[in-house]
Amino acid sequence: MRVVVTRSIARPGRTWQPVLLIALTVIGTAAISVWKPTALVYGVQRAGLYAAVAIPMALILGIVHIVNLAHGELMMVAAYLSYFAARLLGLDPFVSLVPVAVVMAIFGLLVYLLTVKHALKAPELNQLILTFGLAIALSQTVNLMFTSQSWKLSLGYVSASATVGDVSFGVFDFVYVAAAIALAAGLQLFLKRTRMGKAALAVGQNPRGAAIVGIDVGKTYAFVFALAVGLVGGVGSLFLAKQAIFPMVGGPYTMKSFCLVAMAGVGNIVGILYCSLALGLAESIIDGIRGYAGWSNMVFFVIIIATILVRSWRERKV
Amino acid sequence: MTKAVRRFLPVVVIAAAVVFPFMAGPYPLAVAQSVLISMALAVSWDMLLRSGQISFGIAGFFGIGAYGAALTTLKLSASPIISILLAGACSAAVAFMLGFVILRLRKVYFAITTLALAEIFQVIIHNWGDFTGGPEGIVLPSLIFNGDARSLYWLALASVLLACALSALFQRSRLRFALTAVRNNEVSARSSGIAIFSYLMIAFVTTSFLQGIIGGIHVQIYGYASPDSVFDANYTLLPLAMALLGGTYSTPGPVLGAVLLGVASEYLKLKIPYGHLVVYGIIIVLVILLLPAGLYGQYRKRVKARAAHA
Amino acid sequence: MPDLQTFALTKRFGGLLAVNNVSFSLGRGEILGVIGPNGAGKTTFINLVSGVYAPSSGRIHFKGRDITNLAAHKRARAGLARTFQIIHPLENLNVVENVMPGFLFTRRSSLKEARKSAEALCGSLGLGGLDRDVSEITMLETKKLEIAHALANDPSVLFLDEVMAGLNVDETTEVVRLVQSVAREKNIGVGVVEHVMSVIRDLTHRVIVLEAGEIIAAGPYEEVAKNPRVIAAYLGGAA
Repeated sequence: MRVVVTRSIARPGRTWQPVLLIALTVIGTAAISVWKPTALVYGVQRAGLYAAVAIPMALILGIVHIVNLAHGELMMVAAYLSYFAARLLGLDPFVSLVPVAVVMAIFGLLVYLLTVKHALKAPELNQLILTFGLAIALSQTVNLMFTSQSWKLSLGYVSASATVGDVSFGVFDFVYVAAAIALAAGLQLFLKRTRMGKAALAVGQNPRGAAIVGIDVGKTYAFVFALAVGLVGGVGSLFLAKQAIFPMVGGPYTMKSFCLVAMAGVGNIVGILYCSLALGLAESIIDGIRGYAGWSNMVFFVIIIATILVRSWRERKV
Repeated sequence: MTKAVRRFLPVVVIAAAVVFPFMAGPYPLAVAQSVLISMALAVSWDMLLRSGQISFGIAGFFGIGAYGAALTTLKLSASPIISILLAGACSAAVAFMLGFVILRLRKVYFAITTLALAEIFQVIIHNWGDFTGGPEGIVLPSLIFNGDARSLYWLALASVLLACALSALFQRSRLRFALTAVRNNEVSARSSGIAIFSYLMIAFVTTSFLQGIIGGIHVQIYGYASPDSVFDANYTLLPLAMALLGGTYSTPGPVLGAVLLGVASEYLKLKIPYGHLVVYGIIIVLVILLLPAGLYGQYRKRVKARAAHA
Repeated sequence: MPDLQTFALTKRFGGLLAVNNVSFSLGRGEILGVIGPNGAGKTTFINLVSGVYAPSSGRIHFKGRDITNLAAHKRARAGLARTFQIIHPLENLNVVENVMPGFLFTRRSSLKEARKSAEALCGSLGLGGLDRDVSEITMLETKKLEIAHALANDPSVLFLDEVMAGLNVDETTEVVRLVQSVAREKNIGVGVVEHVMSVIRDLTHRVIVLEAGEIIAAGPYEEVAKNPRVIAAYLGGAA
């Protein structure tokens, strides 16, 4: 997995960032492998999940230019859909992944057409509050319908484990890593090689210019939004396979996705993979330190604040 | 609405609010008292909004205030009123220190940072068990005013009056010009000699102080604070929805929104337990899309339009 | 000594050299024209002087003081004012309230004094209907408002960034007369960035011409207008 990461091409002018992260990753990895090897494995796996959730958010932010604070909630809704597919139809989450993603994409399209579309010209703060309201409406509706009890599937294969040397660890979560890489690679291909994708990129960079050359900006926004919700819906299915779901489960993932997108910079999908590694490992290490396990939740929050500050310092004028 | 009516309306409303406990039974009184707390928070949120900064972290400073009051009562044997003032001071101090760092941020970055900070405060209080009592929280030896319902109501009312007084001060002083200019366009504001950072700091520290006071009042009323209860996201969500519905960038707006939503949600709570929170989310979405200026804001626009065509 | 002086002022944005080695001076009572084709760096230049951007190199002196690293709002307070091409009036406030900020924050007047001074200033510029909402005023009134907004700072140097844009001939003449009388009465040094050459001809004492960030000519308008390099810059190609 690290091999793939190092082969990715850093964006011009940002060479220091991936280099720094690679260095950190290598050092961190070496340290952990010696000291607590499971932290390394679990860190990578966590990173995979965080990245998989964050990448669709980056898509919306980069092209529609909206921070979707309901992102985690959409994943949660998808997870619930998958849950019902499993309980009522007996479908394994991997099987229901595509149908759920499609349903979510349609749902996303509806959300876009009914709400987001009308807020596109509004001040950014209004858009923020709008998606915040959507997040609340979604999580509370689920809470109302299904209570705050947490539900879980018990699938045999999620407890698969492997043993390397005298260290054994769960391997199922590598699915998330695979998903993250697939998403990153797939989106890069989509954006750079397909007509729709290139149009989307153009719209993201310069909506007016794109309109002038004949690209239907509105349709592109709708498509991208629906696509992103569909993708995070797919991730929601995978999420359900192993994790417990409850109405508020999405919230932290919204925050962490935003953190990753802010760190990597808008448009830098590959950067999200790097950053998620750093964060997943950091969380994992802190979790491993005895007595400090409760603090690992803070890692993301501290890092997001640090990132935002560093970024604003760099952009300061006079 | 004539000028005379305008002048008297606040007096009438305040008078009605003060005598309310003599006319209401225990249940409406309890509801009113909790609505007042949210109302005060809503006004405080709006005050910062006027500078162009959205805070998603009301619960954070509210919670710090709650713990500030609780801890000073327990460990310093402070009297309840003093503990409430200290609660405000705690929140203000934290805001002041953090302000140097986070007030450089704008828009979504500031908003998310305040959200993250609220979570961080909660985690710190949760984990710092020795000092704060950890996840179980702290219980106060006694309730303020011995739990007399009317006194508690008046205490909550006092927090609203304080919030409204500070808000009115913001609107009637040069702060109004500074914050409006900063919100409008920072480069242009600077060209009028406005020191943006100073004014943002004033707004941030004042509103955090207010939120701390309200948190202190809350904990004195309930006698109990725990990380989950005082850092509850609803202390951010409800005031936000109330201010939006009632009308932002004003003092009467959040007050109006609090009354409407507070009453409506009590009613909803009876019909659909837990449903009222869904309604808050839906209201936020609808208001932002259809009525961004809120009810009072819309009313003011009509008044202006009528005056212009007179 | 002229109130405003720049020395080799340069600004780079990444690879783009927006302002290149600009040295000039502006004294009280003078009206200086700043002209040049689009993209020549005129607005960037004003942004450097007023403090929106920090220069990549070079220095700015104001009233004998080095203000190169001085924050923008402090420059305003020191007496260096400017208008903006794209005007952002304060929407929740009416006309007179839009003029008050400079009085409140640069001159540190009280609210009452600021209101009175703002009313007087608006009157002197021919701006009436002071309690109207800013969304209702005409284009000419918007320009006057913007000038009043800057004058509220009681500046000794004022930059007008394409303030004539969008005005018809009569309105332009009115604003030209206004600027002349203001510069004379308050003894202000005015830097006028304009595209309308008749304005430059009627209003300014001398002109500097920017092209690709550099000064390519300086002097009275009549001279500069005949300069082949200036003509080439506007029309393109060899003179």
